[in-house]
Amino acid sequence: MQKNSARWIVISLVVLLLFATFSLLWGQYPIDFHTFMEYLGYKLFGISSSDTSTFALLDNIILQIRLPRVLLAILIGSSLATSGAVFQAMFVNPLVSPGILGVLAGASFGAALGMLISNEWFVVQILAFVFGFLAVGLAVLIGTMVTNSRSTVMLVLGGVISGSLFTSLLSVIKYMADPYSTLPAIVYWLMGSLSSAELSNVLLISIPMLLSVLMMVVMSKYFDILSLGDEEAKALGINVKLIRIIAILLATLASSLSVVMAGIIGWIGLIIPHIIRMAIGPSHRVLIPLSAIFGAIFLLLADSISRLALSVEIPIGILTSLIGIPIFVIVLKNARASWN
Amino acid sequence: MELNPIVSVKDLRFSYPKREILKGVDFELYQGEVVSLLGANGCGKSTLIRLILGLIKGKGEINIAGKELRKYSQKEMASHIAYIPQYHNVPFNYSVLDMVVMGRVFKLGLFASPSKSDFEIAHKALKTIGIASMASRAFGELSGGQKQMVLLARALTQEAKTFIMDEPVSGLDYGNQMRLLEMIKELSSLGYTFLKTTHYPDHAILVSSRVVVMDEGKIIASGTSDEVITSEMLRDIYDIDAKIVTYETRQLCIPIFKS
Repeated sequence: MQKNSARWIVISLVVLLLFATFSLLWGQYPIDFHTFMEYLGYKLFGISSSDTSTFALLDNIILQIRLPRVLLAILIGSSLATSGAVFQAMFVNPLVSPGILGVLAGASFGAALGMLISNEWFVVQILAFVFGFLAVGLAVLIGTMVTNSRSTVMLVLGGVISGSLFTSLLSVIKYMADPYSTLPAIVYWLMGSLSSAELSNVLLISIPMLLSVLMMVVMSKYFDILSLGDEEAKALGINVKLIRIIAILLATLASSLSVVMAGIIGWIGLIIPHIIRMAIGPSHRVLIPLSAIFGAIFLLLADSISRLALSVEIPIGILTSLIGIPIFVIVLKNARASWN
Repeated sequence: MELNPIVSVKDLRFSYPKREILKGVDFELYQGEVVSLLGANGCGKSTLIRLILGLIKGKGEINIAGKELRKYSQKEMASHIAYIPQYHNVPFNYSVLDMVVMGRVFKLGLFASPSKSDFEIAHKALKTIGIASMASRAFGELSGGQKQMVLLARALTQEAKTFIMDEPVSGLDYGNQMRLLEMIKELSSLGYTFLKTTHYPDHAILVSSRVVVMDEGKIIASGTSDEVITSEMLRDIYDIDAKIVTYETRQLCIPIFKS
């Protein structure tokens, strides 16, 4: 059991590494593996057998263009999938995700507001997080206001309402934004794209994103217990309120920051946890780390398709929806067994 | 019996805004006892055990192993007392082993995850309960009786010496009811202390060292089943006529219909 889960995690990490490497090689200017290894050897150890003059070009393509993009895809994919799995555990509701709960809409409103009132990137991030959290709070409030007990459908409905509210507020921002500069910036950013990634920005945002994903992985042992309900979890020696609020904050932070970096990328948070539950099992000790890894793989794959499929780049948010929706329909049909 | 009770409750009161549930309860649970709490629906049995577990807060004094309940962290409580709820469904269909190892999690540090030895303890608990072969089965697909056995195994992994069970046999078929009661008896002979609520006087007679009867938020009787379970008591509590007969050495309740 325990050995199995460790094996799954190692295998999927290797797959992720392979995909990441290929993503660095694939593109309008394909790089062959041999050249890449030589470039790597030169960069890391300063050794090279061939002409080093082409390495300046590779520097530009790999370090400036592809690496930040690959890193960002990994960060965002794993943030969204992990947050989705955590939200599903915290609300004991397999139908929620950062998108469904309105977090992505709230964060996009917050980020757009930040772009409108300030040039500081930090302000944009903070506002995205604050409004992401307000959105999930509102969804829960609506979900519990109508019925006292915990209802799967009411929470989804609460999320839909909360998400719509923040989407309309976002329209107000768009209406007020300068149509020649801020408005197009907001619109393109919202469609979801990884193409604007710059290495320094990505490295900076990777710190809070990675930390929240890692913390969710660390806390995963508590999530099985929390999903049994508050009283039983308490009796099993768990500080229910503290763990629940920290987990929700972490999931909100990770998914809000993904919105700041690449707009709304839907469906990953909903489908990845379901696929893993169906394929491997529901225990969060395995589900959370594997969601992190497979979320990253999924987004890397989607991004490669978006770059390579057509001569123009398809916004990644549109692509994940197009892939995610049919998958979710299949999942819904088959998944009932794994969540009763 | 030892002098210091594991659980000691003095003048415990609890009310909902419009209804008083517990009206001053004094109760003690000693090491090695198997106490059955008997009483009609709404008499306050479940409220009493939830108060003792610290799941809800009331007025009055509750001491666990000589220390006030409110001075315990959730973690410390779990190492003294294990709670076995009524069998239930789980939202995600965990394996039996996953369910059992949950009893170990409160002992782990923030950055640790269940280790090999935690899984060994879980396997051992399943063996003690006699369901070792079910380890990799899905909890959601078990029968009610099997689920209760799994929850008992989980309680064992907590390494607490006192088990509190809320209507453990409710919803189980007759065979599983008896198997569960037998398991309680077996665990009690291994040194575990039990406090359980029950709706069945016969079950209280079968497995208890002491029977405590509650009525309208108060404890009205406490003693061995011979002393406590009488025709008068059954009439007072349940409003039924019943005869208590002795077959060999065991008491039996025979309800008598009015018509």
